[in-house]
Amino acid sequence: MTAELSSKEEDRYFRQLFVKEWNQEKLKQAKVFVAGVGGLGSASTYYLAAAGIGTIHICDGDIVERVDLNRQILYSEKSIGKPKVEEAYRRLSMLNPEIKIDITNGYLTKKNVSTLIDGYDIIVDGLDNVETRLLLNTLSIEKGIPYAYGTVQGWEGFLSLFNPPATACFSCVMDEGLEEKITPTLVPGVLPGIIGAIQASEVIKYLMDVERTSLGKLMVYDSRRLAFDVITIEKNPNCSCNKL
Amino acid sequence: MTIFLKAGSELRERLQPDVDYYTRKVETEEGKSIRTILEELGINPAFVAFAYSDGSIKRLDYVPKDGDTITLQPPVSGG
Ligand SMILES: [Zn+2]
Repeated sequence: MTAELSSKEEDRYFRQLFVKEWNQEKLKQAKVFVAGVGGLGSASTYYLAAAGIGTIHICDGDIVERVDLNRQILYSEKSIGKPKVEEAYRRLSMLNPEIKIDITNGYLTKKNVSTLIDGYDIIVDGLDNVETRLLLNTLSIEKGIPYAYGTVQGWEGFLSLFNPPATACFSCVMDEGLEEKITPTLVPGVLPGIIGAIQASEVIKYLMDVERTSLGKLMVYDSRRLAFDVITIEKNPNCSCNKL
Repeated sequence: MTIFLKAGSELRERLQPDVDYYTRKVETEEGKSIRTILEELGINPAFVAFAYSDGSIKRLDYVPKDGDTITLQPPVSGG
């Protein structure tokens, strides 16, 4: 893909092209891997596609259900019963036909993750469980691909950008703790939208090398009291990321 | 000494806040870790993923000082 923008692309991105420090060509050449297109992934992929990320790979093995529609804004009543990645592909290509969208209709596993994420500039978290996040975390460290983490539950959401060895990793922070099994995720539909949109913003800034704010930080958003706490996270010396 | 523990979401009910919706005032002795303080309050530390105070992450072996406010976060994994 040539980095040069066509006149159609210049029209499409006009309102952002002249924002200070913006680099549309960098976005056009970027390759982003999105793990999961549920609530978080719906919001992040929508904005990433709209922003003109050249290649977006979406991976999810799930089928759209009616219960997803309070928050998974890529889908509609007509999507029910269909694979999420196919519906997401349809919606995102309608939004922006100038970009390339690749899909994997399946879940990330120990077997496929290494091949799938190979060659991508950054990984975006749209997952709904700790096990797959740990798997993705390990592989992102091995391959040196930054990992834009996000998660939600109740009124709260978390977000960070992990990029060891320079920063802490997912396991450095979440090494302790049992989860009270709250399945499925219970959230106000707008919450994953907010976190997913900030993930997209942080990914875009990372790709253009603009103030990589979320590196080494963890944002805790409590929507109930409109509070954004941004806390510094340090590497855990006992974490396995120090050995990888 | 007095410290303040805060928790939202699933941890809030376990913490039983008494200062405001999120905060519980705790009288304790110096030298005890967050983990020990939680155990003494009857809260299983395993339900805390991480804690933070003054803008930085604290491990559960962190020993609070008088007047500290420590926010406790349960593990969260939805998407
Ligand atoms: Zn680590």
